[in-house]
Amino acid sequence: MTRWGRVVMIVAAITVGGGVAVRGLSEEAPRHQLPAPADGRSKVVGLCDGETSVTVTGLAPGERMAPDKAQAVASELMGKYDAKLQVAHGGTEHTQRETRVWEAELKRVVDEGYKLFHSPEIGTNGISCDMCHPDASITHPETYPKFQSQLKKVALLRDMINWCIENPLEGPKLADDDPKMRAMEAYILSTRKGVPLDPGKH
Amino acid sequence: MQKARSLMVSMLSAAVLQLPNGVLEPVIPEQNPVTAARVELGRRLYFDKRLSADGTVSCATCHDPLKGFADGRPVGLGIKNQTGARNSPTVLYTGFNEVQFWDGRAPTLEEQAKQPLINPVEMGQPSHDAVVKAVAAVSDYAAGFTAAFGSREVTIDRIAQAIAGFERTLAPFASPFDRFLAGDKQAISDAAKRGFVLFQGKARCVTCHEFNASFPYFTDNKFHNIGVAMKGNFEQLAREAQTVIGKGAESQQAALAHKPGVEALGRWIVTRQPKDIGAFKTPGLRNVALTAPYMHDGSQKTLEEVMDFYNKGGESNPNLDGGMRPLNLTKEEISDTIEWMRTLTDDGGGSNFDWAQLKDLSTKTRAGEIVPAP
Amino acid sequence: MPKYVLPKERERQEYQEARADLLQALPHLSRRDFLSMSAQAAAVATVAWKGFPPHSFQLINVAEAKETAPKFTIAYVSDTHILDKGLTHRFVRACQKAVQDVNALEPQPDFVLFGGDLAQLGKPEELSIGQQILKDLKAPVRMMVGEHDWYLDMGEKWREMFGEPTYSFEHKGVHFIVLNSVIVEDYWTEPKMTPMQRMLAMAQLDNPHGRPFTVGEAQRDWLKKDLAKVNKKTPVVVFSHSPLYKYYRPWNFWTDDAEQVQALLAPFATVTVIHAHTHQPLTNRFKNITFHGVLSTAWPWPYAPKGLPELTVQMVRADPFNQFDGCGWGTVTALQDGQVNKRYNLWDRNPMDVTFEQVSKGRKGMEQLAAQLKGNISWPSY
Repeated sequence: MTRWGRVVMIVAAITVGGGVAVRGLSEEAPRHQLPAPADGRSKVVGLCDGETSVTVTGLAPGERMAPDKAQAVASELMGKYDAKLQVAHGGTEHTQRETRVWEAELKRVVDEGYKLFHSPEIGTNGISCDMCHPDASITHPETYPKFQSQLKKVALLRDMINWCIENPLEGPKLADDDPKMRAMEAYILSTRKGVPLDPGKH
Repeated sequence: MQKARSLMVSMLSAAVLQLPNGVLEPVIPEQNPVTAARVELGRRLYFDKRLSADGTVSCATCHDPLKGFADGRPVGLGIKNQTGARNSPTVLYTGFNEVQFWDGRAPTLEEQAKQPLINPVEMGQPSHDAVVKAVAAVSDYAAGFTAAFGSREVTIDRIAQAIAGFERTLAPFASPFDRFLAGDKQAISDAAKRGFVLFQGKARCVTCHEFNASFPYFTDNKFHNIGVAMKGNFEQLAREAQTVIGKGAESQQAALAHKPGVEALGRWIVTRQPKDIGAFKTPGLRNVALTAPYMHDGSQKTLEEVMDFYNKGGESNPNLDGGMRPLNLTKEEISDTIEWMRTLTDDGGGSNFDWAQLKDLSTKTRAGEIVPAP
Repeated sequence: MPKYVLPKERERQEYQEARADLLQALPHLSRRDFLSMSAQAAAVATVAWKGFPPHSFQLINVAEAKETAPKFTIAYVSDTHILDKGLTHRFVRACQKAVQDVNALEPQPDFVLFGGDLAQLGKPEELSIGQQILKDLKAPVRMMVGEHDWYLDMGEKWREMFGEPTYSFEHKGVHFIVLNSVIVEDYWTEPKMTPMQRMLAMAQLDNPHGRPFTVGEAQRDWLKKDLAKVNKKTPVVVFSHSPLYKYYRPWNFWTDDAEQVQALLAPFATVTVIHAHTHQPLTNRFKNITFHGVLSTAWPWPYAPKGLPELTVQMVRADPFNQFDGCGWGTVTALQDGQVNKRYNLWDRNPMDVTFEQVSKGRKGMEQLAAQLKGNISWPSY
């Protein structure tokens, strides 16, 4: 539904006194039971889902909202509706526990990657990744896959990580599925998320 | 219009060159598409000793089909038994080099072909005009030039173009390694397979000896100082360089490239860039087993010697390429890598000529030289 | 033979033209470049070529005005970050390489500045190895301290080996000052960090809990007193590990009391700051002060995402295949008028010269340098 479409629907809802008919296929449309407004200067606006509503204050009796106010009300209603819609695969909402676990796990892996990235033990000569790449700068993970001139073939991020481990760091390369490799990739990718690409600069 | 013409040249040449799928084409100058007539003329000229001052040296003398299109010598041996300063590179696959000569002073094969003709220690002609005269005097060539270029007129450019066209066809892609890449897993031994992995990994070769499906020629077409030239006296080298500068020798790059001592300056002779001192072009590795001895001065006789040189990190000198460093390869790893390098040899030594067709076009031969049966 | 498939076209013409331009432009970089084959260069007296390797070629002004003629030259070797992991370790070799290069200069520089961070972890073994290598320098050496030298034992070993970190001296009419500009506020005593923990915290450039470098009140007082004895017209050159301006705080490319230090230097006619720590060519100018960064021998830092001084012409990022790329050493040439020309001797690249003339022209002058360097680039930017 377009934004204007929503505005129109809600404005229509107000002018007919607070209810929006959701036309089902053949049965009689259910009526949205809206809570009563607090005073004469408030209106309760209901959404077509039959559940969500928003109270609008500061209106004169019978006043038609200005478009931008109507838009704000519409946005608030849709915001509430979207929040309701955070369903997982299978149609159930995400729980708070789940969100906490995800964040904790991500933090754990990224922190592990941070540690390895800053560790002189990955290589054998005391050099660590952060020496050339402080804050994972000039890693440009978003540019992969690309032809990597040191390897003379197309590389993925982990190929280049391994090349750096073997060459400047003179260490043993990591298996593709080594948790250490995945942690370092996670650190690099998460640190560079959203950083504008400025090739070769930082 | 420009693009359309380039495309036509490409298509025409492609039909003659027959490269494998996905491989990028060599750079072919627009004025010299690879046509069957030009290739045939070029082949004849390539083997013709009459192009040299005393009729004893042809291209095939230093770039001998029976010796991997090189000559098995440390440096070239020209007319009157004179030696130059540079190792003769193989002509096989040389069409895929961006520039020619160890110092890259010739931008095309055509330009390269012109230089040995007038190099006093190679074919020794006094000028290109002398070469043109010699070729024009051979009435047999008239038909060839007409077929190749539309008229019987002989010019140095036409001679060079014909030779270059022939050279561009010298790309057989018929080695065990090529068959391995095409899917035949039995084509090379396990040791060679390990060697290939080392080549791309621990031995750090691939970064300069570039190899991938689009460009399978084992060269990055760049110039690196690995220290071969620099084991001598640096002070002396500096003094030589001073005389070079003083004489404004830009136009005499070829002469400098064969002058003992000075020639060690390598790419610097062409670019005059400080970072190019002692730097030479990365050669390709195809048929490397056939083209001993190695390096720009032929100073390394065997592949073992070459591997040991790299394993220790090249020869330390103030301008050593920073990519050189000790590799810590084990004896077994070295032998695996060499085993792999041997799989880069084209069947029949890269020479797929019908020898019955080849005639020695001159009556003079040099003592001890192998002459293909007429 | 497999059937041939027509590959993509190549822009041969463009390539040839670009190449011809390149070959043409390179030997004629500057009229003071003795490798130029132009008639001008040929007309000038040849310089003694005993000076190999290539970076040792001295600049000689051909037809410069008297004020901008060179007076003397010093060299620098900096940020060697030596680790005690054997004498074939690449940081050790790089330090030796720099020393060899400086020793090959003809004529020799008046002295060599060591810019700080001799050791990586401040260990006595590391400092020892560094000292041994620097002893090979033919010219006299002036030492400056960096945070990697200091924070293992708060400078105890450094003082023992090299003396006080803060000092000044006169040389041919220029007043030189050497500062210990890596003083940070104590954050290690309270959490009871061990010396090595403190050192490792200071060693990590992107340490999110780091504190900014300062010159500090005590040193600023010393500086004030020192400068009081100096004539305002005397050229002043300050050697400092941290930049003495504010570039990027997260990486401590920063001096927190920069304004106060700059204020002390404000009354002087010509002031140059030569600073280390940033491992990259950097140029800045603020009022009467010109700031030049120096190269590290060990590794290059990337340019920071923010705060890069406008005048800086950035070097192209290093190729990690080449252990010396983006690294090197350099020289500072003091001119008759007290300003300086700065040369970055980047290994495996052509040298980069930042003259005061260019700096004084501001961004425009530096753009000239950038244009000259375009033919210089031997590696793509990423």
